[in-house]
Amino acid sequence: MSRSTRLWVAAGMFSLCGAWVERAYAVGVAAGTNIDNTAQVTYSVGSVSATATSNTTSVTVAEIVDTVVTLQTPSVPVVPGAVQQEMVFRLTNTGNGPETFQLQMTSALGGDDFDPTAAVPPIYFDTDGSGDLSPGDVPYTAGSNDPVLAADAFVTVLVVNDIPTGVSDGNRGFSRLTATARTGSGAPGATFASQGANGTDAVVGTTGGEDEATGQYLVASIALNAVKSQAVVDQFGGARPIPGARINYTIVVSATGSGTAAASVFNDAIPANTTYAPGTLQLNSVALSDAADADAGDFSTVPAARVRVQLGNLTQASGSQTIQFAVTIN
Amino acid sequence: MIQGTVKFIAAAVIACALQVPAFAQTNCVELKTTGEVEKEVVNDKGEKSKVLVAAADSKVVPGTEVIWTVTASNVCKQPSDKVVITNPVPEHMTLVPGSVVGVGADVTYSVDGRTFAPAGKLMVSENGATRAARAEEYRHVRWEFKNPMPPGSSAFGRFRATLN
Repeated sequence: MSRSTRLWVAAGMFSLCGAWVERAYAVGVAAGTNIDNTAQVTYSVGSVSATATSNTTSVTVAEIVDTVVTLQTPSVPVVPGAVQQEMVFRLTNTGNGPETFQLQMTSALGGDDFDPTAAVPPIYFDTDGSGDLSPGDVPYTAGSNDPVLAADAFVTVLVVNDIPTGVSDGNRGFSRLTATARTGSGAPGATFASQGANGTDAVVGTTGGEDEATGQYLVASIALNAVKSQAVVDQFGGARPIPGARINYTIVVSATGSGTAAASVFNDAIPANTTYAPGTLQLNSVALSDAADADAGDFSTVPAARVRVQLGNLTQASGSQTIQFAVTIN
Repeated sequence: MIQGTVKFIAAAVIACALQVPAFAQTNCVELKTTGEVEKEVVNDKGEKSKVLVAAADSKVVPGTEVIWTVTASNVCKQPSDKVVITNPVPEHMTLVPGSVVGVGADVTYSVDGRTFAPAGKLMVSENGATRAARAEEYRHVRWEFKNPMPPGSSAFGRFRATLN
């Protein structure tokens, strides 16, 4: 493989396109709010009209205890033996009062191919808001820094596992985060007298005051290989690399492993002391124009002479991709 | 000087006496509101039924429907006429469409508390255009009782509203 051959695999190497649905929640009137009702009446007695006001009936809004945990990373690509691999969850207080939640993670789940090994500590807050595990993130300790969330507020939580070494491509390992309201959980409608905000009663909402979400690690090690070969044809019918001779390059790109190499781009510099032969760029024997346009390939001299071919999403099933172009020796 | 003062007081007393009919019976119609919540109960035979419990003794949370009842009682010895009850939909609550009850009364609604009209005929302006107000936009309910209330009688209006 020539040293000048560079194969760029764009960021987002693995397909992370799985969609998840962000549910919307209306929290409703805050626990402890007083709802007052006062009516008025006007009437006449003989020719005299009068007005009267009723008593005021007051109802205090009780606290509804609800929480929702959503997975933010549908599938986390990992390689065997990887350590400190995080899944991102969001814990939202969908009740109508402030609530404290206890967090728990488990990776010993059925239905998958391997059990991830919980890191120590296994749960972190995404304190720095980076969306991944970073030095500024604070570990969670049950009973010590349980998240306290105002109504409708959320916190981003990272669940961290190590991946065993003996796993193979395509294996999946599940990990689950469970959040439970400290005030209480159980059957919807269950009440906890005077345990709500501002001394109100707390009522367990439709989520039971507890929710969980499960994410997966997917062992997906995809590698892109490029093999470059060349053939020299001189203007005298021979194969000598002399000025004016043409060098025909053939590069075969193939993906091995599982997963998807997303938006792969082949990029190759024109060797020094040579000039690109216009109109010679091909992908899988189909000619590509030199202009940057609708087809996958183009030739550019800025900032340095190079050819480029957009290969798109490559999987092992895509098969090998053959790129050809030619240069002339100066 | 003294005589003049006495005459003035006497005049004041007479003036008061003329107004006695209006003030003597301060509230001929007494008005009372109650808020209740439907609760499902199961009897010994396992049969389900719904009972009303006072909202104040219930767990009212967002989404709970409260049944508001306003009762007018004529506590005077004369009939009361042109009885009109107005009840704002409580703050943080939304009227349940079609839930208003008022036997013997014409029911009208208002968004602003000034203009009242029957359901479907109340208009609001939005972005320069006029349209019929939707039931959930009604902020006031009014019952105009068609007949005078005899002494000792009572009448009521009722509506349901959901806690936002």
